[in-house]
Amino acid sequence: MATPLRIKRQRLFSPWLFAAPGLLVTGTFVLYPFVSTLVNSLTDRRTLLPGHFVGLANFRELLHDDMFWTGLRNSSLYVLGVVPALVVLPLLLALLVQKNIPGITFFRSAFYTPVVASIVVVGLIWVWLLDERGLVNSLLETVGIGRVGFLSDQWLLLLSAMAVTVWKGLGYYMIIYLAALANVPRELHEAAAVDGAGPVRRFLSVTVPAVRSTMVLVAALSSVAAFKVFSEVYLMAGPSGGPAGEDTTLVMLVQRTGTGLTGRVGYASALSVVVFAVTVVLMLLVLRADRREET
Amino acid sequence: MPKSRRTLAAAAVALILPLSACGSGDDDGGTQDASGKVEGDITFQTWNLRANFKPYFEDLIAGFEHKYPGAHVKWVDQPAEGYPDKLSADAAGGTLPDVVNVSPDLVAPLARAGLALDLDKAAASFKSAYLPGAWASHQIPGTSGTYAFPWYLNTGPLFYNKALFQKAGLDPDQPPKTYDDLFADALQMARKSDGKVATLANVPTIEDFGRYGVPLMNKEGTGFAFNDAKGVELLTEYKRLYDAKALDPQALTATPESSGKKFLTGAVAMNPGSALDLGNFKKNAPGLYKNIGITDQITSTGHANMYVMGVMVNSRTEHTPAAVAFAHFVTDAQHQMSFARKVAIFPSTAGSLDDPYFTEEDGTDETRVRIAAAKSLKNAVNYTPVLFSDQMKTALRNEVAKALQGKESPKEALDNAVETADRLLRQG
Amino acid sequence: MSVLEKVRPERPATVPREPRVTDGHGRRIRTGELALRYLLLLAVLALTVGPFLWQLSTSLKGHTEDIYSSPPSFLPGHPTLHNYARVADTVPVWDYALNSLKVATANVVTNCVGSALAGYALARLRYRGRRVTTLVFVLAMLVPVEGIVIAQFTTMRELGLNNSLVGVVLPGAIGAMNVLLMRNAFRNLPYEIEEAAYVDGADVWQRFLRIALPSVKGTLAVVAIFAFMGAWDDFLWPLIVLSDPSKFTLTIGLNYLHGTFAGDERLVAAGTVIAVAPLIALFACLQRYFFRGVGEGAVKG
Repeated sequence: MATPLRIKRQRLFSPWLFAAPGLLVTGTFVLYPFVSTLVNSLTDRRTLLPGHFVGLANFRELLHDDMFWTGLRNSSLYVLGVVPALVVLPLLLALLVQKNIPGITFFRSAFYTPVVASIVVVGLIWVWLLDERGLVNSLLETVGIGRVGFLSDQWLLLLSAMAVTVWKGLGYYMIIYLAALANVPRELHEAAAVDGAGPVRRFLSVTVPAVRSTMVLVAALSSVAAFKVFSEVYLMAGPSGGPAGEDTTLVMLVQRTGTGLTGRVGYASALSVVVFAVTVVLMLLVLRADRREET
Repeated sequence: MPKSRRTLAAAAVALILPLSACGSGDDDGGTQDASGKVEGDITFQTWNLRANFKPYFEDLIAGFEHKYPGAHVKWVDQPAEGYPDKLSADAAGGTLPDVVNVSPDLVAPLARAGLALDLDKAAASFKSAYLPGAWASHQIPGTSGTYAFPWYLNTGPLFYNKALFQKAGLDPDQPPKTYDDLFADALQMARKSDGKVATLANVPTIEDFGRYGVPLMNKEGTGFAFNDAKGVELLTEYKRLYDAKALDPQALTATPESSGKKFLTGAVAMNPGSALDLGNFKKNAPGLYKNIGITDQITSTGHANMYVMGVMVNSRTEHTPAAVAFAHFVTDAQHQMSFARKVAIFPSTAGSLDDPYFTEEDGTDETRVRIAAAKSLKNAVNYTPVLFSDQMKTALRNEVAKALQGKESPKEALDNAVETADRLLRQG
Repeated sequence: MSVLEKVRPERPATVPREPRVTDGHGRRIRTGELALRYLLLLAVLALTVGPFLWQLSTSLKGHTEDIYSSPPSFLPGHPTLHNYARVADTVPVWDYALNSLKVATANVVTNCVGSALAGYALARLRYRGRRVTTLVFVLAMLVPVEGIVIAQFTTMRELGLNNSLVGVVLPGAIGAMNVLLMRNAFRNLPYEIEEAAYVDGADVWQRFLRIALPSVKGTLAVVAIFAFMGAWDDFLWPLIVLSDPSKFTLTIGLNYLHGTFAGDERLVAAGTVIAVAPLIALFACLQRYFFRGVGEGAVKG
């Protein structure tokens, strides 16, 4: 893109002045610590004891650590479970609140409330709702289904956590879709309607293609977030990760091994590096898939 | 707030600046000498005591400052959750307060990193003022020395629900006294209630193995040993209970809070507790309170389990005399006694448990529980080995769960847990 | 008022202003469809807001009321503020809320200023190293925050800012995500306006302040809300960096309830309501700007 804004003198220092505060904060408090994590992943450092260089020993140990594979399985399942829901449901919700009918502003704001609340509050609310004697089970019992151990069964726990992630994410992605839908030319819909296409056909043949790039964006953002999931599962399954630790996710494992006074900082750093690498790959995969479809 | 919040402390601990704050056994400097004048500004950190005991600590500090006009104490209190994370950040960053409320498992890594003052050197004269068992609880296998003043002790009876016992055809006035009784009663309870009422709500922890008479570590303190025949026997019994629903089906994900709630609502027939719980029953479950039965902890060893809190002195403090004097002041007989009168805890100072407050009945249940607990404390043991870290606890918990679910035999599960714990111990 | 009206259209020419009533594309909606829509809206409303209301209801129930009953009682029989009083007795809620407010406000200011500046540089200024700068912010967004807390703490201590509210604010003072949001917002502005100003002799700061910035107010509102929420909700970082209870923020302070009233759902509920209510209020006030802002900046990846 051609830009007319070129003055040599300005180019020399102004841009850097603009970017300086952001770079300084990010560099000092994010990138520098992250580089230290990379370095630590090659040592056997503990929380209170200095480490020695151990090469790739931590990464080799990972391969033989059952918990690592459990964590990888759960984090991957989380991506598979949560991402499709977060790509599709908020889009449907956006279509529902798109039309300018009376009171719609209220509904839009209300649907956004779960995003505003902190994850800890959200965790508390849902632990209480899904408690063995909480609201959901009371209702289930009243209608004769009986109580369900949402928070005690390995798979139900993981599913419940996913449901909470989706619940909290709905409003966020809904807004992104709303903005994208605003740019869909209405002629497309009208043409399809004239052709006699029903709502479902119109959705698939007009809406979806029109917001496809936004769907890709949502897929990328939500898959990275889902792979790094910590709070929802930690809050619902407890620090040790549900029955026999079977609900442990990778970031929970990072937290468990690396923290406290006896934390294995080196090993936990190696785990962090793996998490980082996988998220970068996930991001690239999604973007690559997008590009391929376009060509 | 809720269980959760030891939030994302994560991986993170990832980087402690090289050596800046750590390093072990750094006994250099004259700071180990506690014999100077008691003066200077020191910081005292407690663990979730401000909410309920603010006036007590303010008086305590005022008393100390009055006694030593040159000294000034700043009190900070940290919330319950995240305490180990807070300590590790401070320890790594060199901002540990001068006097710190710790428990034995927290003091062990700090002592190994040379951050806790050895009281056998700095304050040996105070040793005789405390119960020998309590003093020893802050000693660490593999190192010499004692790294914290013992502070308050806690132990408690076993509560049981007499109404549920009656319903299951058990004598409500004959609670189980031995493990054999306990297991038999629990199975009967499950059978008679069609699996609706469990007797136990928690999977066995390391202290349960200790109480059952399983040797937890080898004699040298260099490795764990709870996978012996006795340990396997205990876990096999628990597996039987779990299969019969005599151990609550949700025990695998239980927390102390959730099992307390289950007892409160009559889903579980027995629960360990303390004198503190009686008030809670009275208020939140009057029906249960009428039927509450109280009995001693079941052990095969004759020694009840106790929890110990300690007060540690930072070895890097600039005011060693003041810090040591204050740590002792907080934990001396007079102040522990007045603290014990405020809340259901027990002093660790020699002779305090003979105070009439801990020996004379006045007809109330609270007093009865207090007297029984004080009596059992005289030979109680802190079963949890100080070297048993959080990571080891999680490993044991997960292996026990696998055994209960039948994914591993009890023997395999305990072998795995011991192997993991030993590996972590060697790396530590 | 609808989002559609607020969203700054990509190509203004193709999306005319919609007439009010009717649907997003100017067609009339049949009554049957309208009823169905409201039905669905109410169902989703129950799902999204219901849990908060249940929490509120729990917090208002007195001690004599059974909170576990089946079928559940949705409304408190005798609503009482007793639980709130007990929370306030245990935790100096007002002091902590004030600290939270200070931290959150500072976070809003630094994020708005810092990310607007950096975003403008990335979107509008041509200079050597722009790609690298962008990459720095993208990578920073991918770093697992959970992994670097202790390193942040040691850095903070070396700066002598631990145990201060400034130390709480700094690491999140200019979020990478916010910088990228602002960058997208600036990129979506047409060049022509700035060009005119340039011809008139306006220098880069004048163009930034007088022309570019006023056009992205919506995105600034988004950044402000994110910054406020982030600071208000954060737990681990303030816990680690602060030692002195008089400086605690509300999230840490409410954590005292945990060890103190273990297991009383009513008090925990009251605590969560106290923690979340200010955010909902703030959002209710700013939502007009907010919805517009998201339209400006967040769409284009």
